Amino acid sequence: MALLLPVLDDAGRRRIDFAAVVRRLAALRAWLASRLVARTGVRLALVQAVAVIIAFAVAGGVAQVAVRLIDQRAVQERVLGEAVSLQDEFVIKGSDHLPYTVNKRSRLWRGFEYRLVGPDGTLRAGRLPPVPAAEGWSKVRDRNADGRSREFLVYSEPLPDGSQMSVGQDLASEARQLAAVRRTLALCGVLGVALCLLASYAFARGVWRRVAAVVAAAHQVSLGRLDVRVAVRSGAPRDDVDELGGAFNVMLEEIGALVGQVRQVSTDIAHDLRTPLTRVRQRLDRLRRASSGNPELLASVERIDADIEEILRTFDSMLRLAEIENGRGMAGPVVADLADIASQVGEAYRPDLEAEGRRFDLRLSPAPVAGDTQLLAQAISNLLENVMRHTPAGTPVRLTVEARDGAAALRVEDGGEGIAPKDHDVVLQRFRRLDPSRSGPGSGLGLPIIAAIARRHGATLGLGDAGPGLRVELVFPAPPRAASPRPEGA
Amino acid sequence: MTAYEPGRGAASSQRVLLIEDEAETTAHVSESLREAGWIVDAAVDGEDGLERASRGEHDVIIVDRMLPRRDGLSLVGELRARRVQTPVLFLTAMGSIADRVAGLEGGGDDYLVKPFSSAELAARVGALARRPAAPAYERTSLQVDDLEVDRLSRTVTRAGRRIEVLPLEYKLLEFLMLNAGRVVTRAMLLEKVWGFHFDPRTNIVETHISRLRAKIDQDGGPPLIVTVRGAGYVVGAV
Repeated sequence: MALLLPVLDDAGRRRIDFAAVVRRLAALRAWLASRLVARTGVRLALVQAVAVIIAFAVAGGVAQVAVRLIDQRAVQERVLGEAVSLQDEFVIKGSDHLPYTVNKRSRLWRGFEYRLVGPDGTLRAGRLPPVPAAEGWSKVRDRNADGRSREFLVYSEPLPDGSQMSVGQDLASEARQLAAVRRTLALCGVLGVALCLLASYAFARGVWRRVAAVVAAAHQVSLGRLDVRVAVRSGAPRDDVDELGGAFNVMLEEIGALVGQVRQVSTDIAHDLRTPLTRVRQRLDRLRRASSGNPELLASVERIDADIEEILRTFDSMLRLAEIENGRGMAGPVVADLADIASQVGEAYRPDLEAEGRRFDLRLSPAPVAGDTQLLAQAISNLLENVMRHTPAGTPVRLTVEARDGAAALRVEDGGEGIAPKDHDVVLQRFRRLDPSRSGPGSGLGLPIIAAIARRHGATLGLGDAGPGLRVELVFPAPPRAASPRPEGA
Repeated sequence: MTAYEPGRGAASSQRVLLIEDEAETTAHVSESLREAGWIVDAAVDGEDGLERASRGEHDVIIVDRMLPRRDGLSLVGELRARRVQTPVLFLTAMGSIADRVAGLEGGGDDYLVKPFSSAELAARVGALARRPAAPAYERTSLQVDDLEVDRLSRTVTRAGRRIEVLPLEYKLLEFLMLNAGRVVTRAMLLEKVWGFHFDPRTNIVETHISRLRAKIDQDGGPPLIVTVRGAGYVVGAV
């Protein structure tokens, strides 16, 4: 990511666009947050790294204080030793000889600097700048030939002849030592943090992979596949991730068994109810033929037959819903153009819509979708029937299909009264579960079937304001790239 | 409106084999098919049915999915393995899409879910029986009375006068004409013309038929598309 890409401003000068930099940094931060920090392992490693940094900082501070104390003491001892040695020289060789000794030692450079001031205040020997304290310890600073500032720890002492002698040592070496200590500590800190992150990563990577496998399996389950299982290591000592995978698998077994039972019950009900209903219809058929001379009886028979038809339709819708929800009602997904399907369904409904005095607007542009074409056609059909049921005759209807970032979006909008935004959730709920009121014609299963088909295809179902009227929108995920659209047979 | 007589549904001496274990359904199916002019043989279990179907004496075989001794799917699979190509209609309470797909992929030619109306059954059996021998499917021009459909130019003329129809109306009329003299049901039209294997709540078939009628019968001549009460539609009742 080129964070500091210079841009040309109006005057043609190159400058850094700081607003853009901030935006990019924010994006990077968001990316990191979403990709890395969201992982428990990364967060753990970061916390560990911060702990390591704090530990090294504390250790470094303490070490620096200690080193400085030790070092200062050593300097003091050396300076004091040199002062004592010069005192001895003074005692042995006398006041006149001392400047020579001092100059000699100064020339030989034993790490010390000197200042010998006569009783009259004249500098007799040495290069140290004037020392403030006449006796004891002090610090002085000077600037040497190449302009570098030096600091000296100085011990001063009056000599018996009234002159004053100062011996000082350059503290630069001490500063260098401290700097070395700091560098070492910083290096160790960085190494420690790196090791800490590396170790966490190496340890967590395996765990991530295994947790990711559980997440992927859970995702598959949410799409209706109950036959997936998480790989659990055998032999190796079981850890908590194995426990998780094992518990997940046991749960799936249990759900699978329950779903199997429900399916079995559904099939049984289907069979058990269809068979007697078949007989009823057969008898009605016979009755119909026998009553050809009796219009009144014939009309009754027709009414009963229509009622049975309605029962069967509701029953079929319920089985159909169960079938779609548990994934059995789905043919293997093919990539088709949603616009083709919408065109077929839309044209099938056009005469009915127009017979009700509605303007029917079909706006289609190619939009590939992966799924079961029958189910998609049924969803569109249910959406259109929903409009016909809930808006008065004459209300215009619009069916739109378009591609949006490679994903197909389908909208059904009506020009009716619409639904207040605050009620959208309530209506969406009706999509999700059976409508307990189920008034009016039809089984009231149309909306849940649409929702189930959307879920089965990983599509999102949303309601909006078509201004005026209601908009129901299905947005499908983009189909896998490898698959190419296949012509749709009628 | 021309009366439709069920007795003319099948050519004489066409035979159907019914493999069904439930006596009442057998009786009912036999009765309604006999009325439509079929000779009906019945078998009560899978093994018996397989033996009789293998003789190749029948024009259509009706098979229940759940049968004693050998289930319907395996029966048809074995039949096809023995190179018996008689059209098969599955008649079953197992109505899910997956069941339907399994049935059609397993060698069945059509699939009817219980409970069914006898008219639906008769129409589908009739359509299956004529399929292999039907020359209509290869013709380039279809004619009923003075109504003509040219399948190459996809045009419709009545008494020499061109009638403009929409593509979907053409498809609907073509299917009706291909099955001239035979009842086609609403469900058959939904499957074959629209490709819908679900049941729309709205009467889309009825609306399309009435639009088509309005175009074809606009001269006030005899109606060509006839509604068969409780069954479906027929063009040019023989």
